[in-house]
Amino acid sequence: MSDSRAMVVWERVAAHAAAHGRRASVADMCAVAVGSAQLNGAWLAAARGGGPDFVMCVTNPVGEQLAELQLMLGEGPCLDVLASAAPVLAADLGDEDFRRRWPAFVPAARRLGAGAVFAFPLIVGAIRAGVMGLYRGSPGPLSAGQLGDLLILADAATVMLLGSARGDMDNEDGAGLDGQAPDLALHRAEIDQATGMLAVQLGVPAGEAFARLRAYAYSQDRRLAEVAGDIVARRLRLHRDPGRDNGP
Amino acid sequence: MDTALLSDTFVDLADTMVAEFDVIDFLHMLTDRSVRLLAASAAGVVLADPRGELRVAAASSEEVGLLELFQLQNDQGPCLECFRTGLPVTAGDLTGPLQRWPRFAEAAARSGFRAVEALPMRLRGQVIGALNLFGAEPGQFDPADLRVGQALADVATIGLLHERNVRRREAVAEQLQAALNSRVVIEQAKGKLAERLGIDMDRAFNMLRDYARSSNQRLTDVARAFVEGASAEFPPPTRHQPPR
Repeated sequence: MSDSRAMVVWERVAAHAAAHGRRASVADMCAVAVGSAQLNGAWLAAARGGGPDFVMCVTNPVGEQLAELQLMLGEGPCLDVLASAAPVLAADLGDEDFRRRWPAFVPAARRLGAGAVFAFPLIVGAIRAGVMGLYRGSPGPLSAGQLGDLLILADAATVMLLGSARGDMDNEDGAGLDGQAPDLALHRAEIDQATGMLAVQLGVPAGEAFARLRAYAYSQDRRLAEVAGDIVARRLRLHRDPGRDNGP
Repeated sequence: MDTALLSDTFVDLADTMVAEFDVIDFLHMLTDRSVRLLAASAAGVVLADPRGELRVAAASSEEVGLLELFQLQNDQGPCLECFRTGLPVTAGDLTGPLQRWPRFAEAAARSGFRAVEALPMRLRGQVIGALNLFGAEPGQFDPADLRVGQALADVATIGLLHERNVRRREAVAEQLQAALNSRVVIEQAKGKLAERLGIDMDRAFNMLRDYARSSNQRLTDVARAFVEGASAEFPPPTRHQPPR
């Protein structure tokens, strides 16, 4: 059910990339996010250090200014989402709660023309990749469908950021980002448990363990959840040297 | 109904809500107490994710078959129907012919479950999830038990939204995502600890939870620090002992 919905969303990203003659990237994610939710702009920042300080793409100048504004002020929805590991859906920046929460950000954002700001952490549990932020000139909530699509896009962006952080892999696109739809059926306990197990088996941080798990599933043309199930049931171990992974 | 267990349950749940509150710890306790109070074989809390899925937030057992039963209900089953209608959904015999949800019934019967009940978690008309109960014996759950079950489902809803002002409709969606992500953190920590110590996932969960309680920290915070830490030592080495 959700597999096909994630595929629909991914198709839009792939189509956008193809129309620009390039491989799918976070820039395509942001553009599709804006279109899907009928917003005015978006930005995406990677969390290289602790905070979302590496702005990787913006869809328009106001988006860029909203991203930079939060880093400059040290306050705003994009900073909150990484701390709370939950989205911030500020449907109306005129709401008193938001003025109290971000006393410097809110008036500045409104002067830039933002009436609503939506921020999503790009995370998988304790693994933090970055933040995606979006704005609309007019205040108003997201519909349930728009929220769902943005969450799916945030998942895809997270996977993309984590994949491209693997400097030591032969095939940087091995996690399925070379035009093929990534396995976005992420939300299974065994995938998360396998990630933790691999962090110990491989002696690497959790983000890298997750990327290795996905790369292995992709290389074996198997579903992520199935491979994870094998690891949790101890039918499968991965090796520190990925070149040895193809054996039983 | 064991009334001493009933009052103990509400005392325990209230305690969890006023102490260092962790939503996943709370929901896990709720599923555990549901099994004991309602004479169920297994229980789980599933939440409706706007991505279009029902996701397990807590379950009374790690047993793979049980978790699979929640996952299956994304296609058919009592939780899906409960989510769509906002009404309790019941099936008293999952082994007879003419099943409403044939694939689900077959999988449930293979896991030893003969009866199932899904109780809605509702907030102001919106269905945010369900409390799913399984029985090993055929037959409906006792109506008096189900009234308590619905109360537990309502307590689960309140606990989920405990931390924030829910004046804004969006606060519900934000809190749901926080809870779902907390569960992911805890699952990652279970895996890391289970591999590190060579123990099973249930034991790993209990160790994390016991350490969180004895050090007066939130379960999710303990799990997150453990997953993020470079070392896999547990309990984590501390320079200063936390106050007891």
